[in-house]
Amino acid sequence: MGDSLFQLPDELLFTTLSQTFPCRDVQIRAVATLLHPHAAPCQNLVIHGTEATGKSAITAALLQALQEDTEKDEPLLRYVIVNSVECITARHLYESTIAKVAEALQWQGAAPRCDSVSQMVVELSKMLKYPSYPDNFRFVLVFDGIDRQREAPITLLPALARLSEIIPRITSVFIVTSPPASFLRTSFVPCIEFPNYTKNEFVTILNTTSLPTTPLPTTTMQETTELWSRFTGAVHDALARAASRTLPSLQHACTSLWPRFTAPILAGTHAPREFSKLMVAARVHFQDESLLDPGIVAIQSYSSSSLAQATDKTVALASAPPSQANTPRKAQSTTNTPSKPKPANPFVTATTTDLSTLLPPTARLLLLASYLASHNPTRHDLVLFSTFHHGRRKRRGGLSVGMGRGGHRGAQSKHRKIARKLLGAHAFVLERMLAIFTAVRGEWDPKWLDKDVNGREMDADIEMAIATLASLRLLVRVGGAAAGGVAGDQMDRGGKWRCNVGWEVVRGLGRSMGVEVEEWLTE
Amino acid sequence: MVETHDDNPALFDDDENDHRAVYIFNPSPQNATSPQQEKSRPTKRRKVTGGGGSGSKRVATGGGHAEEEAHDAPMKAAAFPQLFDGKESAEAAGLRKKVFDTAWPVLDGRIKNVLRGANRTTLEDVSSFIRDAEGDATRGTRIPAGFIIIGPNIASQDLLFEQLSEALGKATQARFVRLRAAGAPNLKAALKKVIRDATAQVSVEGDGDEDDTEVAFGRDGRKYLDYDLEGLHAFLGAQQNSSRRVIVAFEDSEAFESSLLTDLLALFHSWQGRIQFSVLFGIATSVELFQARLLKSTARQLFGAKFDVVQADLVLDNVFKSAIAGTHATLRLGPNLLRSLLERQRDQVAGIRVFISSIKYAYMCHFYANPLSVLLADEKSLTRQLLQPEHIQAVRTLDSFKSHVEASVDARQLNHAQSLVEDDSYLVKQMVEQRQKKQDYLLQLLRSLHLLTSMNLIPGRFTDLYVSALSGGLDLTPTIDAIKRLGADDVPLLINRLLLAIQTGSPDLDLPGWEDSAEDLTTSLTEIRDEIEALVLQAREKGQQSLKSKISAQSKVLRTTVVAQKVQLSQDTAKLTDEDKAFGKAIDALVDLLTQNIYSPAIDSLFLHEAWAYDSMAPYRDVFVPRPGTAFERALTRPGGYLGCECCCGKGKAGGGQNGTRTLSATQPTTCILYQLYLETGSLVNVADLWSAYYALVGEDSRDTGGLGLGEREALVRFYRGLAELRLMGFVKQSKKKADHVAKVKWLL
Repeated sequence: MGDSLFQLPDELLFTTLSQTFPCRDVQIRAVATLLHPHAAPCQNLVIHGTEATGKSAITAALLQALQEDTEKDEPLLRYVIVNSVECITARHLYESTIAKVAEALQWQGAAPRCDSVSQMVVELSKMLKYPSYPDNFRFVLVFDGIDRQREAPITLLPALARLSEIIPRITSVFIVTSPPASFLRTSFVPCIEFPNYTKNEFVTILNTTSLPTTPLPTTTMQETTELWSRFTGAVHDALARAASRTLPSLQHACTSLWPRFTAPILAGTHAPREFSKLMVAARVHFQDESLLDPGIVAIQSYSSSSLAQATDKTVALASAPPSQANTPRKAQSTTNTPSKPKPANPFVTATTTDLSTLLPPTARLLLLASYLASHNPTRHDLVLFSTFHHGRRKRRGGLSVGMGRGGHRGAQSKHRKIARKLLGAHAFVLERMLAIFTAVRGEWDPKWLDKDVNGREMDADIEMAIATLASLRLLVRVGGAAAGGVAGDQMDRGGKWRCNVGWEVVRGLGRSMGVEVEEWLTE
Repeated sequence: MVETHDDNPALFDDDENDHRAVYIFNPSPQNATSPQQEKSRPTKRRKVTGGGGSGSKRVATGGGHAEEEAHDAPMKAAAFPQLFDGKESAEAAGLRKKVFDTAWPVLDGRIKNVLRGANRTTLEDVSSFIRDAEGDATRGTRIPAGFIIIGPNIASQDLLFEQLSEALGKATQARFVRLRAAGAPNLKAALKKVIRDATAQVSVEGDGDEDDTEVAFGRDGRKYLDYDLEGLHAFLGAQQNSSRRVIVAFEDSEAFESSLLTDLLALFHSWQGRIQFSVLFGIATSVELFQARLLKSTARQLFGAKFDVVQADLVLDNVFKSAIAGTHATLRLGPNLLRSLLERQRDQVAGIRVFISSIKYAYMCHFYANPLSVLLADEKSLTRQLLQPEHIQAVRTLDSFKSHVEASVDARQLNHAQSLVEDDSYLVKQMVEQRQKKQDYLLQLLRSLHLLTSMNLIPGRFTDLYVSALSGGLDLTPTIDAIKRLGADDVPLLINRLLLAIQTGSPDLDLPGWEDSAEDLTTSLTEIRDEIEALVLQAREKGQQSLKSKISAQSKVLRTTVVAQKVQLSQDTAKLTDEDKAFGKAIDALVDLLTQNIYSPAIDSLFLHEAWAYDSMAPYRDVFVPRPGTAFERALTRPGGYLGCECCCGKGKAGGGQNGTRTLSATQPTTCILYQLYLETGSLVNVADLWSAYYALVGEDSRDTGGLGLGEREALVRFYRGLAELRLMGFVKQSKKKADHVAKVKWLL
């Protein structure tokens, strides 16, 4: 083995790998050549490519395979993979590197503390440089996602790239998204790019990995497979080019579209060969936005839909004991009030998670007032909210007025800028919002119609509502302590705030209280 | 500024003054030495206590005492103070405390039971989701995430998370970690908390504590950083019996920085294969809003399900039923207080916790400050000796006593009225009798309410019904109208519901069934039901479709009267068959029966209700809904009311008689003068102008001071100090718009 200078690893290794990772043959061979102790081991290697192109997975699998392949009578290759996502600080990175190296070499007595790169070099030298290893022994250090390392010093990457100069046995592999030119500050670093898959590759991968295992009813497996491959191509053309460019999202789109796409076949209206007809029938589903953005809720309202299912499961899994027998108090309460669980369930299902039902009226009013304060310029406040002359507010802003007097304001319209509604929320002073609140409260909330004097008071309830809105990030404090003279007090009337909810939410909120917010916005 | 800071601790650290709503500045003329001050204080204190306690009950339950109660409780936990100007016997005071001590814990336990029971469904759902997510094939490597919609009251959900941690710990053998935004400002702190809590839980449960700590900090000599999940991994690996599950609950997820959430979730996701993380989010607004704050790549890492918590309304109803309306409640809260409590729950961001503490506060106030609350003690401990002449006298000053006596005079029971006024022992006998009457009243009230709600005829919540029954007595008219409109088939069902209600009572209200005592009612109800059922059968045999009562028939006439009113009317009444008439009679009988049995007078119509009902709003509002703005304004515009010194009050009246009380005088504190001037300014205040106005008032040249004005140096010092105080109170702030100006910040109270 040692007699030939250049020797590529076994062909069998590549076949198994390319079965697990289809369409990555070129990259696998290149990486293998650069890492294999008998081929052309290099000092540093940069593997780069966008998200979900198989960089980390292939590197890990290849190294594992190489390690097993070279393991004849003595170790020729060892490796560790350090994932930067899991390292909170640079120190964390150093320490976990050393710990992992020690574990890979079964080295006893690695230093528990490691504060800097130089200390890490010392520790690594102790383990790798001075002890004797067989000829051609390589140690591969893989830094996965090193470009995303938190709290990394500027010198981190160049320092890691020079590890192999000090310890020649080391090969450092950097897995990054896109390397800037000479970011390692060292000459000649081989780079291997993992490009995104092309359409053909996508289709091939989807055909091998996520092919439906059972044929559709009324069709053969052959037909199903053909339909699937045409279908994935269509999905790729429709979605991948524009929006979902990664393999997992395309996979998700395909698997979630497949049942809807094949529904006509199941219903018997179309045959599996009539692809174009199926496409026309499924056109609506291709426009579904949730394909691209599945959202965080995978199971909609778990409590209501799967209630029966859940009870079945609780019976099946014999989970009744933990929920009832183990908590005597609860059991007691159920015996005391046998009627309660029954009415509780319909209420649970009937709950809407709308803001307007969640927030109490005072908080809703405050939120509306702060939206108005954020989106109306200060100079129009008097026009909008003053009740001084008329007793009731007369002039209203909003689109209706502007359009009604369109001719009159034609000259102004040339100067019109972007509608304020479309702009982001502006900051307002808390006092101004409270003034707007007291003004609109009298007008919107029937309870306050007659209480002009009392309405001016701010009691603890209102302040609690503001604090709640702030803790929900519906109102956001701007500027922090610098804005107010007194350090950062939330109730400082001079503090600046911003409304953090969008127009749609506010309109819904307003309608829940019988208010058209649009009428209160100036252009 | 520095001086005020030095002064304040001395003033407010003082225990003697700590409990008061306001600090009353009362400089003693000879404040040369401090021992003298200490001597003068106890006498003053006793005087104030006595002043509040004497006289009628309304004074006794006033704000001053309520304030004292809140703060004094830990200080002198031994006993309540002796009321009646200190003449109340120590036994009576002790008895009041004892009654409170026995009454509240019962209620507290019941409320806790209700609250714990309310979350049961959610708990089961969440635990089954977390358990099932394990084997869910569609999940992939995503983190199971439960989004619990808990509403905007984060503070009140403490119990829910406590229960979750109990239930999930049992159901899934997982470590449960609770995170709050305040306790986890950055990634490191959050991770530290996660690791510390997850490892701590086991070392409490596990048998060998020393082993655990060793595992946590070093296997094969390695020490883990305290934010290193590797440590947690090693720790979990060393635990043989348990699964490697960690559930992290973000209690107030909206308050977390989105970047922190993103980092944490990415980290959990990357560890997913080795440590099984599940996350729970307490969501106050909506999942959509929450999702909008997360990165899409983060959102892809979550496998979520939504859970709803039982609506706050329903919980409130249940708490109300068991704690306020239920038979266990010793003290009855009056309708006014209840109405404002309920309104606050509906309109404001006030959780169920606030409601419960309001109830507790009402209990505290009542037993602390109302000497007649001793009448609530049980018969064994309430002896004749305990009732002092002051108690008797206090009863005679009550409003309900007055109206009771007047009522008996009107009813020509002159002897009764006379004895009540003159004969102490007769009055005591009456007072004892009232205890039974109170029990009867409450039982009648609850039974009536229970019957009304079980009829299910009129929409409306139990709470509203209860409050209106207390304030003005039960109003049966809508129910009776509804009964009259019922069809013949529905009436037997209604009667069955009533019978069932009588039989079972109401467990929510702790109302046992009262079948035994209501035999007349049940038999009459059964008779009416049988009669109507027989009538229906009879009518069917005759081929009549349905029975008509007078009311339902008339309503049909009204539609057809367009052509010939009179003829139609008479025709239609003539159309009523014998069965219809009999049915109408039966309905009338039913209505009569119900009006006889379902009734309840207003609570304040009862003699001696002041002893067992509490309906005063002021202490509650002062404590739970304070209005700091108004208090500041009051203190600054009329400092005389607080200072109580001659110069401000007396002079204000004498000098500014024609201008009202709000006059400026040089003797007022500087801050007050500045505040008055401040009120007259625009949004930007020129400090130089303010100074000259101030100096014109207090300076040597001022007419007001009568030649005794301040020197410029001293006036300037006071001016600066006053302005600094205004700034501290948030009235002005430095302006960047103009040099030497301050901006007016506060316009509203």
